[in-house]
Parts: sequence; C-alpha cells; structure tokens
Amino acid sequence: MKVLHTPGTEHHFKRGLSFTPLLNIKMSSPEPIIRSKQTETEVNGVSTQVICTEFSNYIFIVLTQYGKIGTLVSVTPDSRSNDISTSTISTKVLLGKDEPLTHVCAKNLATFVSQEAGNRPVLLGLALKDFSLEAIKQMKDAIKSCQVW
Amino acid sequence: MTETQNGSEFDQVSVHNFSEKILEQVVHFHVMKLSGGFFLWVGSAPVLSNLAVSMSSKYDSMPLSTLVLGDPSNTAPNSLAQRLAKKTKKQVFVSYSIPMTDSNLGLLVENRIKKELELHPEHF
Repeated sequence: MKVLHTPGTEHHFKRGLSFTPLLNIKMSSPEPIIRSKQTETEVNGVSTQVICTEFSNYIFIVLTQYGKIGTLVSVTPDSRSNDISTSTISTKVLLGKDEPLTHVCAKNLATFVSQEAGNRPVLLGLALKDFSLEAIKQMKDAIKSCQVW
Repeated sequence: MTETQNGSEFDQVSVHNFSEKILEQVVHFHVMKLSGGFFLWVGSAPVLSNLAVSMSSKYDSMPLSTLVLGDPSNTAPNSLAQRLAKKTKKQVFVSYSIPMTDSNLGLLVENRIKKELELHPEHF
C-alpha cells in the first residue's frame, strides 16, 4: 500500500471502518479451498474431458468420454512398503463394472499421480469408449496437463 | 440439444465453487456438473472423507442411495444425496465433511444448496 501523504490517523480510521463491511461481504465468497483444473482433448477422434481436483487426502480425477463419472476406482499406494522402488499400488472398484481391464487402466493412468502427489490415493472416475494403449497414453498426457497436486 | 449420434458431442463438464458463513463457520461448496447428474462436495476443510451416490428409481418414490467411500455409520452423505436426487431427478454424488456438532448446521447447509440450485440451476 502506498500512503504517501498521511496527515493524521483520522483518515486511516475512516478507511478501517469502511473496510469492515466490505470484508463481511467478501466472507461469503472467499477463494475456493479446493483447486481443480480441467481440459478437453481429442483422443483418436473422441472428445475426452479431464477434470482434476485436489483434496488434502485424495486427488480426484474424472476422465470421461461420456460426460459422466462412470466407473469409480480408488487407486491407493500400499502403505506397507517404505521403499519407493518397491512400492505397490492397489486398485478397488467402488462403483461400476469390476473387470480386470478397469484395474489395469486405472493403475496405468493414476500411479504417477499418486506418486507425484506424495503417495496420496487417487479417486478416478472412468467413462471411456476407447481403452487402447495409445488412447491411454494420450489421456495420461491430458491428466498431466491438469496437474493440481 | 447436442448431437450424440457419434458420441463426440457432450455437454461440457463444468465446475462451480461457492461458500457461505453458516453458524460462525465457513462452509465451502464445490459442484461438478456432469451429463445427467452432478458431483457435490461440501466441507469446511479440503478433505474427501466420504462419497455417496444416489439416483431415482421407477420402483420407489425415494431415490436409491449408496455409500461408496467412507464410514457407513455416517448417514449424512447418503441422506443428502438422496434428497438432492429426489429434488433434481438426477444422479447425484455427494461428499459431505461437516463436523456434526450442531444439527441445525446440516439443515442450513442443505438450505444453502437448495438456494444455489434455484439461483444457478445451470451449474448443477
């Protein structure tokens, strides 16, 4: 703040007074406490949306080609291993079709996020039409571009 | 309406944040608008401690609801998801992390959500 000509305290006092109600108004809309980033990209001609949201105990990622959350998978680093080089990741389908491909894709897509986010678990919503390796690769890049961790 | 024949056109997923000081506590709201539903997180700290999913069923007047993440003994996320699914007729995901100290708070929080639903239905 540059207050160059400060003759007295009266001026400051008035400013202080008028500031209080302003602050009250602002209280109803402070900065959101959770951050999110999103992007939209074409993967093999299919419109794909990524929305990453940061929570203190989770990274929430929605990866969708249907505009929906789809299958919800939790991707959790194994707490037993302290050594990063041998750390393992476990996946659990919380909602939706529990099939091997879902687990493979979820691990492939979210392991690096969990590691980069200080071994935080990832909650991943997958609604995909294309599960090809090439598509998954491109989606990973899209997730990288929405880094909130 | 958007063309969905080749599956390339869906409504954009959008995110909306708002917050309100309720009973001396700042409560934050985070809404993600999805196709046919929305995800709503409510909390005073940035923690994702539970997640409930609810949607209407033609066999029951009350929407079905299930908890997919968190402590099942906490019924707050389930019941809120259920009520919002009934009100909006959409699939609703709710994560609710408000300390259960004041029962009034839950009611006021829910009213705040309903107010936002009325003022800004485009975000849900």
